[in-house]
Amino acid sequence: MSLTINNHQQLSASFRDPSGFLFTRGGLLLRQVNQAYAEDYALLMESGLYEKLVKANLLISHVESDQPPALKDAAFKVIQPERVPLISYPYEWSFSQLKDAALATLSIQKRALKLGMSLKDASAYNIQFVRGKAKLIDTLSFEIYKEGEPWVAYKQFCQHFLAPLALMSKSDIRLNQLLRVYIDGVPLDLASRLLPWQTKINFGLLTHIHIHAGAQKRYSDKEIAPRKSGLGVSKQAMAGLIESLENTVKKLIWKPKGTEWGDYYEDNNYSDSAFEHKKQLVRAWSEEKKPVMIWDLGGNTGVFSRQAAASGAFTVSFDIDPAAVEQNYYKVKSTKEQNILPLLLDLTNPSPALGWDHSERDSFGARGPADMTLALAVIHHLAISNNVPLSQNAEFFAGVSKWLVIEFVPKSDSQVKRLLASREDIFPDYTKDGFERAFSEKFKIHKIEAVRESERHLYLMERK
Amino acid sequence: MMHVTDVLLSVLGAPPAYLDPGSGSILIQLLIAALLGIGIAARSYWSTIKGWFGIKSKAEDEDESDDK
Repeated sequence: MSLTINNHQQLSASFRDPSGFLFTRGGLLLRQVNQAYAEDYALLMESGLYEKLVKANLLISHVESDQPPALKDAAFKVIQPERVPLISYPYEWSFSQLKDAALATLSIQKRALKLGMSLKDASAYNIQFVRGKAKLIDTLSFEIYKEGEPWVAYKQFCQHFLAPLALMSKSDIRLNQLLRVYIDGVPLDLASRLLPWQTKINFGLLTHIHIHAGAQKRYSDKEIAPRKSGLGVSKQAMAGLIESLENTVKKLIWKPKGTEWGDYYEDNNYSDSAFEHKKQLVRAWSEEKKPVMIWDLGGNTGVFSRQAAASGAFTVSFDIDPAAVEQNYYKVKSTKEQNILPLLLDLTNPSPALGWDHSERDSFGARGPADMTLALAVIHHLAISNNVPLSQNAEFFAGVSKWLVIEFVPKSDSQVKRLLASREDIFPDYTKDGFERAFSEKFKIHKIEAVRESERHLYLMERK
Repeated sequence: MMHVTDVLLSVLGAPPAYLDPGSGSILIQLLIAALLGIGIAARSYWSTIKGWFGIKSKAEDEDESDDK
């Protein structure tokens, strides 16, 4: 979301930090660096920290630009950062994605301290997944480190990373959704109440969450007097603090098991031949249409996303199940895949626009449209489990992308029988003909293929 | 009895920043950091002592091993 001023658009997710802001002009994404940040920017570039972090895949690269600044009076420089294919948010990440984002933040802070700088914020929203790696995207997050100063972003780190990770690991994986409610991270007093008592015998969680929450409550209304003595956080003590956070984060684990789709492919009525046929069709159609961005909605662990991504498209593999997204992310990491991004999404209640004026975090829809969408084995969940009429399904998919690869799963399929087993069949229109009729309103159907050894059909459609 | 963090509170200044670091967060950080700093110092002395006997400690730049 953005705010138009003169000939550029200032992005409204970037208004808090007086060091500078992001804006777009003529399709270019630019970042104005303000005078107030000139010294810090100079040290970032001259100390070798920038180069080191970019080389380590921890910071997004940028080039200095000749473009005029957006707000002239405050301006020092304009830089053009590398573009991120799709912005995602921590409430859409699996456990390991959030954990890797936390560890990247700490690794950056360690390297910064060695070169005389420190992170002035530790927001999870400043981390994005670029070519499979968690990277800092805010070039202006660094400040000149003054020995003795405490880490100004300590509280933010605990709220954005440590608290949700601890809750996901020790209480319930679904508590990552608290990040959707609390835009500045999970309040520590809430995390402290929700965590099981055993976490109080874990030194890291005891100090950084439970005691920290207590101290926040006790001293929230106390004004801090100007510095009067040499007491502070020495460089060595700061290193100790970062290391302690790192160890605490590293020890938090979550193993996906027993959720909805974790073992889906082992527990359905697909034959190997049907499965292979579907893979071939997805691959052939994505290669034929050459989309730049593909959204696989209901991507499970990413089997079909990978077929689509073989076309070279950047493929976002969305799924509702944290276990499937986690396994998908393991695969991205282990095979160093660069053009697949697994994300958590409930299609029946997708990520909304959040924050100040509803414009700090974009909704799921506002981040589109994609060039192609895959909706494989999804329609029965939307039409039957979620009672969304087929015509509304067609309208939704038409809003998401130009090309649609969609699978129709008939009532005779065991998966649909299972959905109807415990409820009345109030879906007389849910037939192959009814499906084609509804989708023809919004799409031109280019291809229909019967999936081998199954009663399912795969369609390639183009938005009208 | 005066809380130890009250003493710290009276002598410390807040850093200038756009984020509110939170009084309680600064104080608890000072305590934890002091405690952990001692650990780091002890480890560094220990590796110096080991060094006298020719025992090499693990690479100092462990966090940089993932540089590519």
